[in-house]
Amino acid sequence: MSTRSAAPARPVSVNLLGVVEHPVLGDGPYRIDADGHPYLPAGDGGIVLGLQLGDSVFARKADHAAPGACLVHPDPAARHALAAYSCIGNQVKVRTGHAAGARGVVIGKRGEEGRVVAAFRPAELAVMRPADEVSIRACGQGCRPAGFPAGLTVLNIDPGLFAVLPMVRRPASGEGPVSVGVRCSVPSKLAGNGLGRPAVSWDLDLQLPPPEPGGGGDVLLGDFVAVTDIDARFNVGYRAGWVTVGIAVHGSSPLPGHGPGITPILTGPAGILDIRCEAAGHVGLTAQMLKLQ
Amino acid sequence: MKISSNGDQLVSQVLTGEVWPSLADSRGYRVGPDGQPFALPGMGGVTLGVHCGDPATGYASDHLEPGASVRHRDPAANAALQFLTCVGNPVRVETGPAAGAVGHVIGQHAYVLADFPEPVLAGIATGDSVTVTACGQGLALAGHDAIVVKNCAPELLQRMPGGSRPDGRLEVHVAARVPAEAIGAGVGMSSEYANTDLMGAYAGLGDDLSLGLESLRIGDIVALADADHRFGRAYRAGYLTIGVISTGQCMLFGHGPGPSSLLSGPAEAFHLVDDPAANLACWYHPELETAQ
Repeated sequence: MSTRSAAPARPVSVNLLGVVEHPVLGDGPYRIDADGHPYLPAGDGGIVLGLQLGDSVFARKADHAAPGACLVHPDPAARHALAAYSCIGNQVKVRTGHAAGARGVVIGKRGEEGRVVAAFRPAELAVMRPADEVSIRACGQGCRPAGFPAGLTVLNIDPGLFAVLPMVRRPASGEGPVSVGVRCSVPSKLAGNGLGRPAVSWDLDLQLPPPEPGGGGDVLLGDFVAVTDIDARFNVGYRAGWVTVGIAVHGSSPLPGHGPGITPILTGPAGILDIRCEAAGHVGLTAQMLKLQ
Repeated sequence: MKISSNGDQLVSQVLTGEVWPSLADSRGYRVGPDGQPFALPGMGGVTLGVHCGDPATGYASDHLEPGASVRHRDPAANAALQFLTCVGNPVRVETGPAAGAVGHVIGQHAYVLADFPEPVLAGIATGDSVTVTACGQGLALAGHDAIVVKNCAPELLQRMPGGSRPDGRLEVHVAARVPAEAIGAGVGMSSEYANTDLMGAYAGLGDDLSLGLESLRIGDIVALADADHRFGRAYRAGYLTIGVISTGQCMLFGHGPGPSSLLSGPAEAFHLVDDPAANLACWYHPELETAQ
């Protein structure tokens, strides 16, 4: 065993090609909701207009709608790599189409075949089309930003993004827990689709009830949300005493076992990941933080 | 089960499949709960030595599928095979040294899982053709309108103890009760496809991973708390799902022994009786052993 202390590994960035997705449906258009009613899924992938960071995950009558453009790749293996290596905060540049030159930012990802969700300025998103090509400067997986306690796993986030996230407080002395402000803390039994899947390339759906009439219990796109007793270091699964924090990346879904999804960014024992429930005062990831206003 | 159903109104369909090989990729390893790399058998093909009534966990295995794992080569025909086949349906081997032997379906797991007596299973190999006489989808219970039946052959319903009670509830005998925290991979999927992996059953690993489910057996009838599987697999407080443990040991995190869904509805529509004998082995396997 080496006696030298391990220097922080320097991150590398890779340019990935993403292609703006076109929504797809099967031969039969209907899905069945949790109460047994058929519905036609709108907003599930591709470019979704009229939805932005800060909107309620329940704001639209849609299925898994994400605020921006979903990016994929025609080759399945390249698509998995796109999803696994892209991190929240990574810069996106549109290379083709009417919005060529526009800048976007990765705000999360979705699982199964793999989708990266990128936010853009509304006026630029409005002129984008499926099949437009973008480049993503992917960086973050494997990074350990300074000041995070050993035992806390950081994933799916650009190391540079922490500088603009006031809700994440690192211990001043370099020791002690990281403290994270969240909209709410959800028990593991509400975790849905995404359990048992690799957290570097999937989101975790939360089976949340709709908000109360006064807005209590609402979650906004971009919010930080904690899930207790969930370990997301490898696959996502139950582990007593752990906490996982993710960022809400897409809206609710009528599908049983699905719901608004979070992209996990921090996971570890509760003793080193301190959750502050900020409720109505919480401000999550915003377009302003990403300089997309 | 002393209960009236529409079983006599159902049709049976003759389906075919073949014993499908285990699948792996060139990298081999997958990752366990603590980051352990592993390469373990159990899924696909023919898995020997584990039958209904045997422990579900405690094997050096991942996604243990007891018996023969069956698919159809054509994707659309395979979907029909996976969706229409029900627990308890007969499976007849058509080719190879075990031709003529009859087993029964114990569940689905993206394969149809068929249990046979060990001597029969020893003669089955990947590629053997089987016939499944599928019957059960559409089954409904008279007087229990709130309960939806899934993947359950009419004969299985008749063999299960319990039935309609004077108070209007359905009595079901269960070998184990499963908390909502145990629900893992498979949530969010169709109730007619694959099964629900149960976490908290990693025998021999850390206490922080345990939900007390290490003693489950293959074929156990279990009750899943706060689970609504009527139209897909979801959390719903106050609902209950009855399933049968059709797969065993997992090392992959977020996975575990899995129940295929049989009955689902409001918890108050059920009357549960804890009964260690609530296992497919008690209703199917003895007869099979005799028949051979």
